[in-house]
Amino acid sequence: MSFRVLHVDIDAFFAAVEQVRDPRLRGRPVIVGNGVIASCSYEARRHGLRAGMPLGEARRRCPAAVVLDGHAPTYRAFAERVFAHAAAMAPGLDTYLDECYGDLAGTERLHGDPLARARRLKDDVRADTGLTVTVGLGPNRMLAKMAGKRTKPDGLGWVTGADAEAFLSARPVAELPGVGPAHGRALAEMNVRTVGELARLPRETLVALFGAHGEALHERAHGRDSRAVAAREVPLAVSRETAFHADTGDRDEITATLCYLAGRACRTLRELGLAARTVEVRIGYADGVHERAQAPLRPPSALDPEVFAPAERLYLRLHARRVRLHRVGVVLRGLVAADGRQLDLLAGDDGGRTERLVGGLDGLRERFGDAAVVSGRSLHLLGRLEKSQHGFVLRTPSLTQ
Amino acid sequence: MRVERLNEPVKVRADFAGGTVTPLALRRGAETLRVLRVNARWADRRGQERLHYFACTVPSGDVYELCLNAHELTWRITSVTLEG
Repeated sequence: MSFRVLHVDIDAFFAAVEQVRDPRLRGRPVIVGNGVIASCSYEARRHGLRAGMPLGEARRRCPAAVVLDGHAPTYRAFAERVFAHAAAMAPGLDTYLDECYGDLAGTERLHGDPLARARRLKDDVRADTGLTVTVGLGPNRMLAKMAGKRTKPDGLGWVTGADAEAFLSARPVAELPGVGPAHGRALAEMNVRTVGELARLPRETLVALFGAHGEALHERAHGRDSRAVAAREVPLAVSRETAFHADTGDRDEITATLCYLAGRACRTLRELGLAARTVEVRIGYADGVHERAQAPLRPPSALDPEVFAPAERLYLRLHARRVRLHRVGVVLRGLVAADGRQLDLLAGDDGGRTERLVGGLDGLRERFGDAAVVSGRSLHLLGRLEKSQHGFVLRTPSLTQ
Repeated sequence: MRVERLNEPVKVRADFAGGTVTPLALRRGAETLRVLRVNARWADRRGQERLHYFACTVPSGDVYELCLNAHELTWRITSVTLEG
């Protein structure tokens, strides 16, 4: 059998890491999250718990659940070890938080039977990390992921190109990537319940119904997915977001946190050699209302002061209600290579001083750790938040989306 | 289950044989706690320093997270997970 794409998904990732760290948690419902469930163990899922569910509801449904805040750097370290095993089977990995895709083209002569190699990959990951992974093999990304998903947890699933049509035809249409609740309802109203039924609809009908997305649905319903598998050189966005330890209306605390988050996001961009064209600020009120707004960065920037200034203006505009905030975050989008950015002739020129200053601070942090230097606008957080080698200990670990 | 985040220096007796580090016991105050089992180990970085983490079960059943700074050769307790 020949497969083009490998998909590896870490089962119940954050919760599984916690169960490895502390064997007392094995067999118990475990939730990792703050405010909402970020990840939960399969024992918790048997009680109807799902990622994204508010913790209050989760506790009502499963009072015995163990709730943990989680620790993002630990999870990242475990994910890197899993991805290293996957990279030994398929080079050019496209990695995400808890899953990755690998290109298997040309690797058969090296590894032999891909199914045997995939079983060895699962064994190696378990022996090294204690985690279980579900592996999918297929002719493209979509089918590899769907094949694995059917066998979760700790599974191994595969679909060949020849079997793709038969594999897809009986699957519920909601399992097809790109079919969300709204599309699912629209299709159900047309009595389209399986991927096979969707595949029989003419392309023109789907385009008329769903616009450009209808074209993609038509392709996917026929098992076609032309997205390449390669290490992503440019992420779509870099975001840093956190909940407050206690809901707050203190604008100094909020802007200090926003400044800190913007600085962390900018540093990630600089490490990747990128600059952002857009900054977005998100706030979440304690009563569950969320707001977001974005502003362009001209020229594109990865420098803390150039990003924080518009971010602070956006925050001041957004925070119009007299309600405490539960969370705040910053997202940098429209990423371009930093050295290729268009300079603004009319903008004031500081002779590269800001760039040199930020570069100097990066050098200090590289040598002594993220917590070594704190910007003046974030000083408000000193003494209020604990510090670790990764900087301030936020209530919600900052994760790149 | 209760997690106490700490950043406390600690004396650790460890086995460095075979190129891997395995904590055997830690001394906290006047108490010496034997490491029954190393449940997990992983590595991280602080600037240029390499940090090695170990999640260790002690006889009470509690799990101590120990951190070895490979640059300074110092140990710290970074968290304790207690039942209850």
